Amino acid sequence: MTAQLTAPTAGTTSSPYRLSFARVVRSEFIKLLTLRSTWWSLGITAVLTIGIALMIAGASRGFEGGYPAVMAIVSPMQFTMLVAGILGAIAITGEYSTGMIRSTFAAVPSRGTVLLAKALVVAVVLAVTTLLTSVIAVAATAPIVSDSPIDWADAAQSTIPLLMSILAMVTFAFIGLGFGFLIRNGAGAIAATVGLLFVLPIVFNMFVMAGDGWQWIVEAGKYLPMSGAQVATAPGGDDVLRGALTLVAWPAALLVGAWGVLRTRDA
Amino acid sequence: MIVAENVTKRYGSKTAVDGVSFTVRPGTVTGFLGPNGAGKSTTMRMIVGLDAPTSGRVEVNGSQYGQLRSPLTEVGVLLDAKAVHTGRSARDHLRAMAATHGIPNRRVDEVIALTGLDAVARKRAGKFSLGMGQRLGIAAALLGDPRTLILDEPVNGLDPEGVRWVRDLVRHLAAEGRTVLLSSHLMSEMSQTADHLIVLGRGRVLADASLTDLVHAWTTSTVAVRTPQASDLVAAIAGPDVTVADPGDGTLLVTGISAPAIGDIARDHDIALHELTPRTGSLEEAYMALTEQSVEYKTKDIA
Repeated sequence: MTAQLTAPTAGTTSSPYRLSFARVVRSEFIKLLTLRSTWWSLGITAVLTIGIALMIAGASRGFEGGYPAVMAIVSPMQFTMLVAGILGAIAITGEYSTGMIRSTFAAVPSRGTVLLAKALVVAVVLAVTTLLTSVIAVAATAPIVSDSPIDWADAAQSTIPLLMSILAMVTFAFIGLGFGFLIRNGAGAIAATVGLLFVLPIVFNMFVMAGDGWQWIVEAGKYLPMSGAQVATAPGGDDVLRGALTLVAWPAALLVGAWGVLRTRDA
Repeated sequence: MIVAENVTKRYGSKTAVDGVSFTVRPGTVTGFLGPNGAGKSTTMRMIVGLDAPTSGRVEVNGSQYGQLRSPLTEVGVLLDAKAVHTGRSARDHLRAMAATHGIPNRRVDEVIALTGLDAVARKRAGKFSLGMGQRLGIAAALLGDPRTLILDEPVNGLDPEGVRWVRDLVRHLAAEGRTVLLSSHLMSEMSQTADHLIVLGRGRVLADASLTDLVHAWTTSTVAVRTPQASDLVAAIAGPDVTVADPGDGTLLVTGISAPAIGDIARDHDIALHELTPRTGSLEEAYMALTEQSVEYKTKDIA
């Protein structure tokens, strides 16, 4: 009995198992990749991107000259952004709705670590998916746009818009993730995400026809995530940097806000 | 070792836990009792840092939970069987939990075998019965081979074999020198499992004592006596503390005097005894007496 008693008390120092950020990231990878909803979202993103890219490429042959071929690859983002946002939202609201969040925070009491690890994993998964689907879409549309192919010699017409579209997809997922952490409820977080990404740009655009007194609203609308994405991915655009900053600022603000709330809130 | 010092938790105007202090010691099974809404689960959540106390402090193995460098090897916790994503398989859930601490998959398969989940480990947790969910929650609590275990209603929904298994498991873990805090509403189960009891009522500690002390303090021991000379015996044992109840079935229920004393008096007075049975109170009786005033959600007696 005495011998048995001594064993567990040595646990604090002798156990080789302890928390580290890398391990929490690994755990979050396992979590995200072992859910069917993740693979559905990524599959839908891939199908939409490649399918719409093919349609735009086909249609662009009838466009008046000067339509940049890379636009066919980045434009489907207007549809896939919602899937990215939803993926980000359910990555965390699924934990709240099922109670999994209590297991998560019991294993990793530092909530900032959980938030960072989750964000990193969502970013990597979205970035890799967008990269892969873009590569496939480029290859698939190449024969269609062979008259005026993507100009790889000019980064502004090729790699910059493609990289910006990866950044944008990560941003959209982060917006979902941020709302998810803040609102905790799946439907609420998705509604907020769709509202910010999809509905607000429409609302702001309605003021284009209004008088000069209303133009500040139109001006403010340029800083919405969707506008940021359009500007950042515009081939040869002048405001790529402003667009990129917009894409970074939104998730940064949301995730910092989420962290502030998360630190003190009861799980 | 779990130490709570003057812990209070308020949710808005409602005080769930009100200045609670206690120590849960290693090497024993400590039962956590109390009516629904007494603050047991809230206290357990505060121990593992899920809820922050409004005031006071809770420490596990000498540290606040949030300061632990390897929480899973220090504390294994089952708060409820539903702390699992329903879309993930049991094994994937455990793998994800284990990964946070670098615990190898070998250990994941060990706890799966230990909790009898082999057959369903690759099924999604959302399809589990309550009992299977409990087993998965216990498996997760055991992952890090922790020094301290906190189990909230672990036998809820388990079959009799499972109930017995949990009892043997927690007794074994305590015998190894671990700290075990266990809540349950099943008094008979608790009286077979726990050495020490902490009873909460309306957010306060009503009792913190060993099982035997608690039962002794809150129940009256009676002695059942059968004798053909009932009136003689009643007269012989009469005293200021002694009460005798006669339910009319030939058995007298005597309180205030011990069975040996009754036996001695009967021999001195030449009274024949056909039965002399000491009846100690049960934990259930002690619990009912103790929490009578503090039951939050009281049912009406059926007339």
